[in-house]
Amino acid sequence: MIGAGYLLITALVWAIIIGLAWGLSKYLKKVYENERTFLDKILNPLENLIYRILGIDGDRDMGWKEYFLSLFAFNVFTAAISFVILTYQGVLPLNPMKFPGMSWSLAFNTATSFSSNTNLQHYGGGSTLSYLSQMVGIQFLQFTSAASGVVVAVAIFRGFAGRRGEGRNLGNFYTDMVRTMTRVLLPLTMILAVLLIGLGVPQSLGGYSLVKTLSGSFELIKVGPISSLVSIMQLGTNGGGYFGANSAYPFANPSPLTNYIELGGMMLLPTAMPFLFGRMLRMKNEGRTLLIASYGLYAIDLAIALIPVTALGAGMETRLGGFSTVLYTVTTTAFTTGSVNTNLAAMHPLVIMAALMGMMIQATPGGLGVGAMYMLMYILITVFIVGLMAGRTPEYLGAKITANDVKLAVIAFLAHPIIILAPTALAYALGAVHAIGLGTGPVGFTQILYEYTSAAANNGSDFLGTAGNTVFFNVSTGIVMWAGRFIPIFIMLAMAGRMLEKKRSTEVALRTDNLIFPAILIVSILILAVLTFFPFLAVGPILMHLEGIKNAL
Amino acid sequence: MKGGKLISSTMRLALVLALICGVIYPVVVTGIGQAFFPFQANGEMAQVNNATVGSYLIGQSTNNSHYLFNMRNDSASGVDPDITVASALAQAQVIHNSTNISLTYLDGLIHNNTRYSMFFFGTAYVDSLSLNIQIIDHFHSRIAVYGKIYDGLNTTGS
Repeated sequence: MIGAGYLLITALVWAIIIGLAWGLSKYLKKVYENERTFLDKILNPLENLIYRILGIDGDRDMGWKEYFLSLFAFNVFTAAISFVILTYQGVLPLNPMKFPGMSWSLAFNTATSFSSNTNLQHYGGGSTLSYLSQMVGIQFLQFTSAASGVVVAVAIFRGFAGRRGEGRNLGNFYTDMVRTMTRVLLPLTMILAVLLIGLGVPQSLGGYSLVKTLSGSFELIKVGPISSLVSIMQLGTNGGGYFGANSAYPFANPSPLTNYIELGGMMLLPTAMPFLFGRMLRMKNEGRTLLIASYGLYAIDLAIALIPVTALGAGMETRLGGFSTVLYTVTTTAFTTGSVNTNLAAMHPLVIMAALMGMMIQATPGGLGVGAMYMLMYILITVFIVGLMAGRTPEYLGAKITANDVKLAVIAFLAHPIIILAPTALAYALGAVHAIGLGTGPVGFTQILYEYTSAAANNGSDFLGTAGNTVFFNVSTGIVMWAGRFIPIFIMLAMAGRMLEKKRSTEVALRTDNLIFPAILIVSILILAVLTFFPFLAVGPILMHLEGIKNAL
Repeated sequence: MKGGKLISSTMRLALVLALICGVIYPVVVTGIGQAFFPFQANGEMAQVNNATVGSYLIGQSTNNSHYLFNMRNDSASGVDPDITVASALAQAQVIHNSTNISLTYLDGLIHNNTRYSMFFFGTAYVDSLSLNIQIIDHFHSRIAVYGKIYDGLNTTGS
């Protein structure tokens, strides 16, 4: 049973984060609606300089196609920069540890992974990457992929808001991207990074140091630009750690306090998105619907995981204890961050199942920006289902949802299981699973299912780690990560473009801004997810759990 | 030519942001960290007899568990120095038996260094490296084995 103290701490964390996110959303609305803020004096000249370098007109609104193409091309270039640096780090500067370059398939995997906000890692960072790679190969992509999620959400919100007289388009990609960096991500990560340094997370460029221990042996102390990475990895729901052990490694997460600050860090911006949606729509209760539904699902997830485990066990860090470890594991998958503070292989099957559920739904509340996008996708499907039951034309925000709209939403929904299950089957069929020493039993299957679910959901937590560094897993998960990232974004931006064009009526057939609709939405999402994934959960973690019970008898 | 313009602008944006987010940001944070929190920013290095012996955040397995507290090996990172208070108290008994350091002292040391995974409840734990350093600092002139470790730290060579 969960003690009252644990529940109190969880409630406190939620209350603080929801409060901060609410306040932050006021500021975010100003940023994306070009209202005056206190940072204008410093940032306007800097931003104008960047616009001049780009040679763009920042005031020109884009349609959804141009917005998507700009975003996509930008992400291709960021991944390319990272790929080059990772491959050639051996001959590039800031490599005091003299690490050689990555193989092409590992560099491909890493660049696609970080550019898609996944941060799946088939390498151990502390023993593989130079400082330059950690900074420009990794941290840079953690910024750009996080900002990509934010600008997608903002563009989609503008489409769904569909206010006439304020331009018929989704906004300007370049100004959204630049302002997200200068006004949102960089200031927040600077604050968090300095706070974490004060609490013991190292930040240095001085190289690893070799010391003589109390036992007279020698030990490598792996310090580097860790705090600057950890802060963007959490705030941007990236999740890829400086070290292979990620947030379990004491340098990345030295104490219970840093653990809770990092936990809050990954929750903050995704929690602000539903509020921002409500504000940009000028309908705050519509934002509340997104928030209640996503936190409701998050609570269900948490309950599944916390029923079996709250005590310290093997594969956990002593300073974090059992409860914080499980809370972190569920949260990192519910927000599709993917940083881990534990050894997943040692976790209870039900904790793994809760983690898989978060990644299969992707809106609990999901990754930065895209979580809100998926929630809107579920809302469109849900109003359609409810419309069918009530025998009325489905509507959302006063706009009629046509058959084509629902087809688009369903394609976006079905892309997820297809890119998880097809490569999972392929990995077995081609012998790639056997090649890394995993079997066909529930344990091996769970690890492979988890790998592709994590890749497709752009989460990044995984079992395989460096064992996944084979050409097959590097290339296949690389493709899955980009497909899982850009197919739904493409479809939902197209949907936002359609929403812009729709006539809005003020008569409401189905209210989506009350407290009943979020409950319907939660049930609908659970049914959709269970119907799609249950057979695979059954032969994976559920079977593992049942075998565990049988062995205990 | 619209496509060419899009490619040139997005490429420039990628390069500008690589400079800002990948170079300027971590370098500025490093500067702030080194200026205001040098101890933490450099890994909370521990010193004994003027020699750097490791980081307080990274555990050390010992080849002499009769005299020193040992870290646990089945954690997630495998390098954290923290052990539960229950484990520390059990190890204190072994150290007491081989050194005659009083249990009162050892238990007091553990008590004074106890922290909790949930701040004021949850798993009670201590940092094994920190305990060992305090013991060596305190007993190196009185107990030969600690004196040997203490003096050995300042000799160079391998």
